[in-house]
Amino acid sequence: MKQVFKFGAVVGTLVALWIGLLLSPDLPQSFSLILPFLPVYALVALGCYGLGMVGYGLMVFPTCPHESILLQKDIDEAKAFLKEKGVDVAYQ
Amino acid sequence: MELGDRTVGFLLLIFSLSLFSYYTFWVVITPFVDSEHFIHLYFPAREFAIIIPVLAGVLLLSFVAIFIGVVILRSRKPKSKSG
Repeated sequence: MKQVFKFGAVVGTLVALWIGLLLSPDLPQSFSLILPFLPVYALVALGCYGLGMVGYGLMVFPTCPHESILLQKDIDEAKAFLKEKGVDVAYQ
Repeated sequence: MELGDRTVGFLLLIFSLSLFSYYTFWVVITPFVDSEHFIHLYFPAREFAIIIPVLAGVLLLSFVAIFIGVVILRSRKPKSKSG
Protein backbone atom coordinates (compact mmCIF):
# COMPACT_ATOMS: atom_id res chain seq x y z
CA MET A 1 0.00 0.00 0.00
CA LYS A 2 2.90 2.33 0.70
CA GLN A 3 4.20 1.82 -2.82
CA VAL A 4 0.90 3.12 -4.19
CA PHE A 5 1.25 6.35 -2.23
CA LYS A 6 4.87 6.75 -3.35
CA PHE A 7 3.90 6.18 -6.96
CA GLY A 8 0.98 8.58 -6.66
CA ALA A 9 3.20 11.23 -5.09
CA VAL A 10 5.73 10.95 -7.92
CA VAL A 11 3.06 11.07 -10.61
CA GLY A 12 1.26 13.96 -8.91
CA THR A 13 4.48 15.92 -8.63
CA LEU A 14 5.25 15.37 -12.29
CA VAL A 15 1.74 16.40 -13.36
CA ALA A 16 1.89 19.52 -11.17
CA LEU A 17 5.28 20.40 -12.61
CA TRP A 18 3.98 19.96 -16.14
CA ILE A 19 0.89 22.10 -15.53
CA GLY A 20 3.05 24.75 -13.89
CA LEU A 21 5.33 24.78 -16.92
CA LEU A 22 2.30 25.00 -19.23
CA LEU A 23 0.95 28.00 -17.32
CA SER A 24 4.22 29.85 -16.94
CA PRO A 25 4.26 32.76 -19.40
CA ASP A 26 7.91 33.34 -20.24
CA LEU A 27 9.40 30.20 -21.68
CA PRO A 28 11.80 30.00 -24.59
CA GLN A 29 10.01 29.28 -27.83
CA SER A 30 11.93 26.10 -28.48
CA PHE A 31 10.79 24.65 -25.17
CA SER A 32 7.13 25.53 -25.63
CA LEU A 33 7.19 23.66 -28.96
CA ILE A 34 7.77 20.29 -27.34
CA LEU A 35 6.17 20.92 -23.95
CA PRO A 36 2.61 19.78 -24.86
CA PHE A 37 4.00 16.48 -26.09
CA LEU A 38 5.88 15.58 -22.93
CA PRO A 39 3.31 13.33 -21.16
CA VAL A 40 2.61 11.27 -24.25
CA TYR A 41 6.32 11.20 -24.94
CA ALA A 42 6.94 9.87 -21.43
CA LEU A 43 4.28 7.18 -21.96
CA VAL A 44 5.80 6.15 -25.29
CA ALA A 45 9.28 6.07 -23.76
CA LEU A 46 8.04 3.92 -20.89
CA GLY A 47 6.29 1.53 -23.29
CA CYS A 48 9.38 1.28 -25.46
CA TYR A 49 11.51 0.62 -22.40
CA GLY A 50 9.21 -2.15 -21.22
CA LEU A 51 9.03 -3.77 -24.64
CA GLY A 52 12.76 -3.50 -25.09
CA MET A 53 13.47 -5.03 -21.71
CA VAL A 54 11.16 -7.94 -22.50
CA GLY A 55 12.90 -8.40 -25.83
CA TYR A 56 16.35 -8.19 -24.27
CA GLY A 57 15.37 -10.66 -21.54
CA LEU A 58 14.10 -13.07 -24.19
CA MET A 59 17.27 -12.58 -26.20
CA VAL A 60 19.79 -13.28 -23.45
CA PHE A 61 17.63 -15.80 -21.58
CA PRO A 62 20.20 -18.23 -20.18
CA THR A 63 19.64 -21.85 -21.09
CA CYS A 64 22.02 -24.55 -19.95
CA PRO A 65 21.12 -27.88 -21.62
CA HIS A 66 24.22 -29.55 -20.23
CA GLU A 67 23.16 -28.72 -16.66
CA SER A 68 19.69 -30.07 -17.38
CA ILE A 69 21.16 -33.40 -18.49
CA LEU A 70 23.28 -33.54 -15.32
CA LEU A 71 20.24 -32.74 -13.19
CA GLN A 72 18.17 -35.49 -14.83
CA LYS A 73 21.02 -37.89 -14.16
CA ASP A 74 21.13 -36.85 -10.52
CA ILE A 75 17.38 -37.32 -10.19
CA ASP A 76 17.53 -40.80 -11.68
CA GLU A 77 20.40 -41.71 -9.39
CA ALA A 78 18.54 -40.47 -6.32
CA LYS A 79 15.38 -42.30 -7.34
CA ALA A 80 17.27 -45.56 -7.78
CA PHE A 81 18.98 -45.09 -4.44
CA LEU A 82 15.72 -44.39 -2.63
CA LYS A 83 13.98 -47.30 -4.29
CA GLU A 84 16.78 -49.55 -3.10
CA LYS A 85 16.15 -48.36 0.45
CA GLY A 86 12.43 -48.99 0.12
CA VAL A 87 11.18 -45.41 -0.15
CA ASP A 88 8.44 -44.84 -2.68
CA VAL A 89 9.11 -41.72 -4.75
CA ALA A 90 6.69 -42.32 -7.59
CA TYR A 91 6.01 -38.63 -8.00
CA GLN A 92 5.44 -37.71 -11.60
CA MET B 1 12.31 -23.48 -30.39
CA GLU B 2 15.17 -21.75 -28.58
CA LEU B 3 16.19 -19.95 -31.72
CA GLY B 4 12.62 -18.78 -32.23
CA ASP B 5 12.42 -17.21 -28.77
CA ARG B 6 15.76 -15.51 -29.28
CA THR B 7 14.72 -14.16 -32.65
CA VAL B 8 11.46 -12.87 -31.22
CA GLY B 9 13.37 -11.13 -28.42
CA PHE B 10 15.80 -9.60 -30.88
CA LEU B 11 12.96 -8.39 -33.09
CA LEU B 12 11.14 -6.92 -30.07
CA LEU B 13 14.29 -5.09 -29.00
CA ILE B 14 14.93 -3.74 -32.49
CA PHE B 15 11.28 -2.71 -32.88
CA SER B 16 11.17 -0.85 -29.57
CA LEU B 17 14.50 0.89 -30.19
CA SER B 18 13.49 2.00 -33.67
CA LEU B 19 10.07 3.13 -32.47
CA PHE B 20 11.65 5.15 -29.69
CA SER B 21 14.18 6.81 -31.96
CA TYR B 22 11.57 7.57 -34.62
CA TYR B 23 9.21 9.07 -32.05
CA THR B 24 12.01 11.08 -30.44
CA PHE B 25 13.05 12.40 -33.83
CA TRP B 26 9.46 13.20 -34.68
CA VAL B 27 8.56 15.01 -31.48
CA VAL B 28 11.81 16.62 -30.36
CA ILE B 29 13.83 17.32 -33.48
CA THR B 30 11.36 17.87 -36.33
CA PRO B 31 9.91 21.21 -35.06
CA PHE B 32 13.37 22.76 -35.22
CA VAL B 33 13.92 21.91 -38.88
CA ASP B 34 12.53 24.48 -41.31
CA SER B 35 9.28 23.50 -42.91
CA GLU B 36 10.73 23.42 -46.45
CA HIS B 37 13.18 20.68 -45.61
CA PHE B 38 12.65 17.29 -47.28
CA ILE B 39 12.76 15.50 -43.92
CA HIS B 40 9.17 16.52 -43.25
CA LEU B 41 8.09 14.13 -45.98
CA TYR B 42 8.93 11.19 -43.69
CA PHE B 43 6.84 12.33 -40.74
CA PRO B 44 3.06 12.79 -40.51
CA ALA B 45 1.55 15.97 -39.10
CA ARG B 46 2.56 16.64 -35.53
CA GLU B 47 -0.94 16.24 -34.11
CA PHE B 48 -0.70 12.55 -34.86
CA ALA B 49 2.20 12.30 -32.40
CA ILE B 50 -0.47 12.60 -29.71
CA ILE B 51 -3.44 11.02 -31.47
CA ILE B 52 -1.81 7.72 -32.40
CA PRO B 53 -0.32 6.85 -28.96
CA VAL B 54 -3.53 7.83 -27.16
CA LEU B 55 -5.61 5.77 -29.59
CA ALA B 56 -3.26 2.82 -29.19
CA GLY B 57 -3.41 3.13 -25.40
CA VAL B 58 -7.21 3.28 -25.38
CA LEU B 59 -7.43 0.26 -27.69
CA LEU B 60 -4.97 -1.68 -25.54
CA LEU B 61 -6.77 -0.83 -22.30
CA SER B 62 -10.18 -1.72 -23.72
CA PHE B 63 -8.79 -4.98 -25.08
CA VAL B 64 -7.38 -5.86 -21.65
CA ALA B 65 -10.67 -4.91 -19.95
CA ILE B 66 -12.74 -6.95 -22.41
CA PHE B 67 -10.37 -9.91 -22.04
CA ILE B 68 -10.60 -9.80 -18.23
CA GLY B 69 -14.38 -9.47 -18.43
CA VAL B 70 -14.67 -12.47 -20.76
CA VAL B 71 -12.42 -14.55 -18.51
CA ILE B 72 -14.43 -13.65 -15.40
CA LEU B 73 -17.74 -14.40 -17.14
CA ARG B 74 -16.46 -17.77 -18.37
CA SER B 75 -15.12 -18.79 -14.97
CA ARG B 76 -18.40 -17.87 -13.29
CA LYS B 77 -20.74 -19.85 -15.55
CA PRO B 78 -20.04 -23.36 -14.22
CA LYS B 79 -20.43 -22.16 -10.64
CA SER B 80 -23.88 -20.68 -11.26
CA LYS B 81 -24.98 -23.87 -13.03
CA SER B 82 -23.88 -26.15 -10.22
CA GLY B 83 -24.99 -23.86 -7.42
